[in-house]
Amino acid sequence: MSQYRIMVIDDEKIVCDMAKMSLEQEGYIVETFLNAEPALSRLKEKRFDVVVTDYKMKGIDGMEVLRAVKRLYPDTEVIMITAFANLDTLIEALRGEVHDFFPKPLKIKELKSSIQRALNRKR
Amino acid sequence: MKIEQKIILSNIFNVALIVLIGIFAFQNLNLILTKLRFVEIADDLNASFLEMRLSEKNYFLYHDESALSDIRKKIDDTAKSIELAKDDIIRVIGEKNLQEQELYLKEYSEVIEEVRRAKSDDIQLEAKLRAEGKKLKGFSESITRLERNAVNDIISNSKRILFYSFWAILITAVVVSHFVSQRILRSLREIERQAKSISEGNFNKIEGIKSNDEFGSVIAAINSMSGELRNREEQLIQSKKLASIGVLTAGVAHEITNPLNNISMIVQTYTELYKKLSSEERIDFMNKVGKEAERIKEVVQNLLDFSRLRKPDLKETDINMVIEKSFKLMRNTIEVSNIDVKLNLDDGLLHVFIDEHQIQQVLVNIISNAVQAMPEGGNLFISTMTGKDKDFIEISIADTGKGIPPEFLPHIFDPFFTTKGEGGTGLGLSVSYGIIKNHKGGIRVESEVGVGTTFIIELPVCKSSGQNKV
Repeated sequence: MSQYRIMVIDDEKIVCDMAKMSLEQEGYIVETFLNAEPALSRLKEKRFDVVVTDYKMKGIDGMEVLRAVKRLYPDTEVIMITAFANLDTLIEALRGEVHDFFPKPLKIKELKSSIQRALNRKR
Repeated sequence: MKIEQKIILSNIFNVALIVLIGIFAFQNLNLILTKLRFVEIADDLNASFLEMRLSEKNYFLYHDESALSDIRKKIDDTAKSIELAKDDIIRVIGEKNLQEQELYLKEYSEVIEEVRRAKSDDIQLEAKLRAEGKKLKGFSESITRLERNAVNDIISNSKRILFYSFWAILITAVVVSHFVSQRILRSLREIERQAKSISEGNFNKIEGIKSNDEFGSVIAAINSMSGELRNREEQLIQSKKLASIGVLTAGVAHEITNPLNNISMIVQTYTELYKKLSSEERIDFMNKVGKEAERIKEVVQNLLDFSRLRKPDLKETDINMVIEKSFKLMRNTIEVSNIDVKLNLDDGLLHVFIDEHQIQQVLVNIISNAVQAMPEGGNLFISTMTGKDKDFIEISIADTGKGIPPEFLPHIFDPFFTTKGEGGTGLGLSVSYGIIKNHKGGIRVESEVGVGTTFIIELPVCKSSGQNKV
């Protein structure tokens, strides 16, 4: 069986590093990006199964990442992380067909099971 | 003396002068009237004397007895007239002259009697009568002439006195009103200057004008107003800070949540991978936790610095040393940003009286603004020099960054004004401004879009301070 590809976008380096270390334990291929622009160009050349993105970032924000991913690969799942979720953000994310929505501080176990659910659904 | 008192005094002076002149003019007029009345009476008398002498001539020429009785009658009439106007006459020519006049009249009357009794041509008697008549008429005429001259003198004297008084009143009025208005204008100008300076936000006390007049009270009122404004301004700044805490909370929460999330992620990963990690990796993880905790502490410290109105802890300090320390703090940031720094510090500067940490805060703030203004790298010039006013030293921090648009320049020291979007709280320069102002210094900015920005800080030198060893 081929390995699943996971992309993590967050402007905090530690989030990227820790997510990569932890997710690689589950046997995923993980690529991380500190901002959305190079991440989106990478997506154009390579399909990922799940994209985990921060909501609040300089330049392109999480919501735009969600839309861009869905345009490119409708069945790639997007998981969004945000420090402050208000109802409007949540509704906008749901309409953009976000797979899951996590507040900070992030629980890695919950993230992992969410990714697992997303991958199961695709199967 | 109060201005009001000065004006009243000068008015009293003028009014007194006018009243005196009035009294003087009134008395002169009365005198002139009396004298004129006398001159009128004297003219009548002179006419009578003339008639007497005519009759006298007639008698000698024609020996007309009736001429003598005419003279007799005239003498009686004249004596009666003199008796009637006696008071007026005495008042003008004095009792002695009147007595003399009456004596001459009596002598003349006696000679007339002698002539009547003699009833013959006596040449001696005729000559005596002529002489007496001449004396009588001559005396009366000379007194009349004297009085006419006196009237003329009084009139020309009055004219002269009125002329001088007119000028005295005019000059007093002009001089006094000139001095009073000069004083008022000078004080008004000073007050206007101070009011303008207060409206620009310098709530200084007016000093150097000591005045016991109305301006003293105005100055006291302005001083108390500016003191009150200063208090209010401090309260306002404090309450603005409190009001801003709501705005700040979101920013601060975001600032804290990120390192907190990092710590949480490190801890979770650490626990999960504990057995697979080497001891170096474990130490590395813990160091990362430490650094993130440090980030949180910094955010909290900044918030505290902002919300607390700390009194500066002033010490005599070498400003160049503070600049070098601040520069060391920033060196790393500056180097990774590809910025060349040129320090040009004047060794001969006088010491300043400052809170080193607060000034360092200001310098770090301005330097980091400069670094952020040059994302592509550039030059940063930091220099110190003695100010144009020798009581101040100047610190100049110039960058070759993107510059500040002219429409933003007036607002850059306003609290919560930021051009950095969400990246800035808009408090850095506002707090810096407050710190420099607390040090009785000044901070200003010159900027041109596309060329760069220069911040100039002025700090007062320490009185009786030591100089740097050159």
